[in-house]
Amino acid sequence: MHPANFALPAGFCSRRHFLRASAFGLGSPALMWLLQQDGLLAEPARPELELRKFDLKPKSGHHPARARAMISILMIGGPSQMDLFDPKPELKRREGQKFPGELKFDNVGQASAKVLPGLWEFKKHGQCGTELSELLPHLATVVDDICVIRSTQTGVNNHGQSLYALTSGRVTTGAPTIGSWLTFALGSETQELPAFMALTHPSGAPLLAGDNWSNGWLPSLYQGTVIRPKEPRILNLDPPEHLRGVAQERQLAFLRELNREHLEQHPAELDLDARITSYEIAAKMQTAAKEAMDVSSESEATRKLYGIDKELTRDYGTRCLIARRLVERGVRFVQIINNGQSWDHHSGIIKALPDVCAKSDQPVAALIKDLKGRGLLDSTLVHWGGEMGRLPVIQNDLGREKVGRDHNTYGFTIWLAGGGIKGGMTFGETDEFGHKAVKDIVTHHDYHATLLHLFGLDHTKLIYRRAGRELSLTDNKPARIVKEILA
Amino acid sequence: MIRKMVILIAFISALLASVPVLLADQSSQEADASITFERHIRPILKAQCFHCHGEGEKLKGGVDLRLVRLMLTNSESGIVLVPGKPSESVLFQMISQGKMPKGEKLLTSEQVSMVERWIGQGARTIRPEPAEVPAFHITEEEREFWSFQPVRRLPPPTVKHEELVRTAIDAFLLDELEAQGLSFAPPADKRTIIRRVTYDLTGLPPTPDEVATFLSDDSTDAYEKLVDRLLASPRYGERWARHWLDVAGYADSNGGADTDSDRPWAWRYRDYVIRSFNADKPFDQFITEQLAGDELVKPPFGDLVGEELDKLIGTGFLRMAPDPTGDNPADANLARNQVIADTIQIVSSSLLGLTVQCAQCHNHRYDPIPQTDYYRLRAVFEPAFNWKEWKSPAQRQVSLMAREDREAADCIEHAAGTVDKEAQRLHDELIEKFVQKQVTLVPEDMRERVIGARRTPADKRTEEHKQLLRDYPTFQDNILLGEIDKEGAKRVEEVRKQAADFRTAKPVDPMVHCLTEEAGKNVETVRFHRGDPQQPKEKIPPGGLTVLASLFSQEIPSTNSQCRTTGRRLAFAKMLTNGTHPLAARVFVNRVWHHYFGAGIAPSLGDFGALGERPSHPELLDWLASEFVAQRWSVKSLHRLILTSTAYGQGSVHPASQNADPDNRLLGRIRLKRRDAEGLRDGMLAVTGRLNTNMYGKPLPVAVNAQGQVVVGSQAKDANGDPTGANAIDGDEFRRSVYVQVRRSAPVGVMETFDAAAISPNCEIRAVSTVPPQSLVMMNDQFVLERSQDLATRLRRERSGDARGQVMLLWRLLFACEPDNAELQRSLVYLAEQTEAIRSTVDPGGEKKKDAKAPAVDVPLQALASLCQTLLGSNRFLYLD
Repeated sequence: MHPANFALPAGFCSRRHFLRASAFGLGSPALMWLLQQDGLLAEPARPELELRKFDLKPKSGHHPARARAMISILMIGGPSQMDLFDPKPELKRREGQKFPGELKFDNVGQASAKVLPGLWEFKKHGQCGTELSELLPHLATVVDDICVIRSTQTGVNNHGQSLYALTSGRVTTGAPTIGSWLTFALGSETQELPAFMALTHPSGAPLLAGDNWSNGWLPSLYQGTVIRPKEPRILNLDPPEHLRGVAQERQLAFLRELNREHLEQHPAELDLDARITSYEIAAKMQTAAKEAMDVSSESEATRKLYGIDKELTRDYGTRCLIARRLVERGVRFVQIINNGQSWDHHSGIIKALPDVCAKSDQPVAALIKDLKGRGLLDSTLVHWGGEMGRLPVIQNDLGREKVGRDHNTYGFTIWLAGGGIKGGMTFGETDEFGHKAVKDIVTHHDYHATLLHLFGLDHTKLIYRRAGRELSLTDNKPARIVKEILA
Repeated sequence: MIRKMVILIAFISALLASVPVLLADQSSQEADASITFERHIRPILKAQCFHCHGEGEKLKGGVDLRLVRLMLTNSESGIVLVPGKPSESVLFQMISQGKMPKGEKLLTSEQVSMVERWIGQGARTIRPEPAEVPAFHITEEEREFWSFQPVRRLPPPTVKHEELVRTAIDAFLLDELEAQGLSFAPPADKRTIIRRVTYDLTGLPPTPDEVATFLSDDSTDAYEKLVDRLLASPRYGERWARHWLDVAGYADSNGGADTDSDRPWAWRYRDYVIRSFNADKPFDQFITEQLAGDELVKPPFGDLVGEELDKLIGTGFLRMAPDPTGDNPADANLARNQVIADTIQIVSSSLLGLTVQCAQCHNHRYDPIPQTDYYRLRAVFEPAFNWKEWKSPAQRQVSLMAREDREAADCIEHAAGTVDKEAQRLHDELIEKFVQKQVTLVPEDMRERVIGARRTPADKRTEEHKQLLRDYPTFQDNILLGEIDKEGAKRVEEVRKQAADFRTAKPVDPMVHCLTEEAGKNVETVRFHRGDPQQPKEKIPPGGLTVLASLFSQEIPSTNSQCRTTGRRLAFAKMLTNGTHPLAARVFVNRVWHHYFGAGIAPSLGDFGALGERPSHPELLDWLASEFVAQRWSVKSLHRLILTSTAYGQGSVHPASQNADPDNRLLGRIRLKRRDAEGLRDGMLAVTGRLNTNMYGKPLPVAVNAQGQVVVGSQAKDANGDPTGANAIDGDEFRRSVYVQVRRSAPVGVMETFDAAAISPNCEIRAVSTVPPQSLVMMNDQFVLERSQDLATRLRRERSGDARGQVMLLWRLLFACEPDNAELQRSLVYLAEQTEAIRSTVDPGGEKKKDAKAPAVDVPLQALASLCQTLLGSNRFLYLD
């Protein structure tokens, strides 16, 4: 410490100051104990908009949890439910006839009222007999582990808004996403890797880009860390050539030494301590993150299971495998995201839908199998789905090769697996055309309340106080825990 | 919350008898006193029940909870309130059984019990209730809320240790501290002080020369001279402008979700803010110019220069909200109204310190702000925004072009416009051709009717028309040519491109990004039911906040004959700056306080309402606000007042304060402060001697580098136009961060990681996070590595061949002090060891490879750079104490 040589008027610095300051020395065990207690007891009392302290230490929820980690496979664009998950014989019967009800189109210039039946064959699979389209032959092999929800509804007929609804519970930008809420509530089980990671697609950013892994108004400690879709998957992990190995170890050791001395001079400053920890995590990330991202250590059989051996499935296969490796290492929330809105099949669905399915069907099914095989599925909630589905009528009526389907957020399909979800079932129904959800509707709020429940969290109690307001994922909207799908 | 703090404090005080109990528990004092409707019950009902039972369009179940006497009547479920008998009161039955409030959060058990006790005690009110039920009733309790009260200037209290009082601030703070048996921390030493005040005023570290000058100045006013020097530095304006730009929501892009288009002239507003702070423009004038600068000057605006022009530029404040209306938003009406709503939010949070935006759809749930107040405020701005005759961001710009350039440009524009028309004609023709072709697919007897339906304007269509268009949807409106006729669309595009080519020859038009109001427009504001523009209700005149009407009139005339325009914004600005407005000065001095002490006196900087936290020192806040106005709104005087206080000069370590007051509400010490994003980037540039202090002008571009990070520089691209890396920009990349382009969609990596302002729509307060990616930046980021090299090179240049001297200089540059002997020795050992470590890393075999292509590594320089990097990444550099 430096001598107090700041010239001030006489009496400015009285002896009393020093007497009081030294009344209990900085190193006293009683003081240290008290400071620790402060940390524990003072936390809830910290007033709003003070610089609150947050951390990633593992925490428990409101009730015992079924799920420990979540992998959300976002398929943005609007996978066609009646071609994949929701067979509708009535459409076949009415093929080419005029659709009898009201439809909301996104692209009027290509719209038609002609009913378009599902273009692929459905078959029952597994013990449960859940029907799936022939486009998902691999998913069919794990159908007993998944719960297909055919009655999802957001009701906002636009990609962006509907995606916001599903990822953050609100239809506008700026709110925290599910991963942020989970890490805020539960912390992380690894201190060597970020708690919330987003695995993006090599062809480009998804619709709404960073808003998909935004911490919104939660502290940025809970923001998703984006993993680049190509090597190097995390930035700044590599020290420069000349500082590798022992040189960097020395540098970090010296830094720690300096920081500890500095902390001793400011013993009550928890943030200084947190930064020391953050350097420790960062140092470990250089290898831990790299190791976690390195799928070359996986067996040939595993790599083959995920389809990494084939060009077509290599990208999704690698990312699904990385997701499993991250969850295995204690990461709380992993997002696997497609590019743009690649499931948005307004035209040429006959070719485009099989293409996009073929890239991910095997890897996604492999993920379920692999998680199950390693005993991780019970505690890992897997979500698959987009922000909307599609209409039961033709868009772009220019022949079989050209037809597509327009948007529909009134009834579409997502599926969940693991983490306390009952496998081998379907839930909810759309009308006879697969247009609107009519039975057991699951709104985005219901979905959120349910997944929080699986994590041991009560959606009405998981709140963040900001500027004096109590904010929650379900936004104080009606939200139902869908008990019927819980194992 | 308070209760838990009290328990903690009582706990500590029991252990350390020398520290007395700090705070009385107000809530427990009140607990058993009489519970009254106004004070205890109404706030609960207002927040959770009034929406349906009193302030909605209809009274649900016939229940009105706004006044006690209205509850004594029968409702659909029975008598709402039976005084003295909670179990017979429907109100209590509903809330205790969780049947109400519906669908939303239930009341807490404390709230239910409060209601029960209130009814049990006879359902008392403080005073007789009004005979009439007003549409929106503001109670005396609500009017008495601290922030709606006039600013009261009390004389500074007398304290035991008058010798510690240098400014009135100290007296107010010390009064509270002494009452708890505390005092200020011992003063910080002179080196700590110069480092602190230089950072606070300029965002930069002091140079070793500046430190030496201050240390050797023994005069009694050495510190005051230092403060004056810093306030006179242009770096001051750059620093404090950044704080204001946060609350204004400054951005160089329009913020659309899909297309984040450029906002090419916003920088003039940034420069205006810097100039204003440097010139110590009185803050009332600064507010007025930003709200109504265009109403202060005469058109033609293009002829304005100097201070007159600055007034116009100031209105850029009202054009900072995201505005994607020029980028084909999905719903144009929604997008336009959102621009106005975001602007109201920015004005409200930055100047009023209230969440008026919460009253857009319904009466404010917690504050006495009726929905009509929101629309009164909207009516102040509506004539300038005019959502029915909307202008895109580009159309709102004002040209500063010289006449001859203008004429040349007009001529070219005319030619281009003719070509555009031709393109449109071609487009319409091709669409019509498509329609004619489509119609042949329609059964012959239907054709005429289908075409008829298509030709009928949308708002005139009958049910039959609509049904026809449902049956034959290809005849609906908004056919996209690109979707139906690619060749045709290409032809149209070619014609459009000709027009674009013409326009490239136009002289560059210097613009101002600002808001101007057109004279003579009669723009009405109506209330939107539930905030939905599709549900317009009654007309609303402009005005201020109803809750303040008892202080002075909140009426704003709809028109002003003295004014070219409606004069509404000018009147609103005058209202805010009349010296007696209870919010404007309080809100600003509180922000200034926050930047010095790490928390506002009222910690919720943008919410002085019921949900915001109460000020820790309300008398001090009022005294400061009053003094600020008395000093003619001089921001620099306010700085001097704070900076010369004993409170500001304290040290950061003070166990008595830390134990008794861990949150430092009483300010018995200085809070440690982490460099903010700009403070870190600029600080690193400054200590390396790289900082380029050129001021003003177009924003420095940002680019994606080879590692995929956004950095300052110009974008390098390959033959396909794909980004390959970032190029240097002639030393401009070393300019201060305030000049770096603010793209909402592409924040600079180093700054984003360190919590740069998140502007949505503005940033009332920055987050302060401590996360591993920040550590990875300090360990491995290219910018940090380059600055470490720069710093090592500088040390070598200035202390050639003198390792000891280099370490000494490094400490001086970064920490404004000398290393002690242990630190010096440790550093020298580190250099020696690191030299060996790096040598063995780059040359493991011990033999220099004679590969001419590989650049030789200057090992001692790298070791020195490693030392520099270690210190740059250390908490001692990252934090100020």
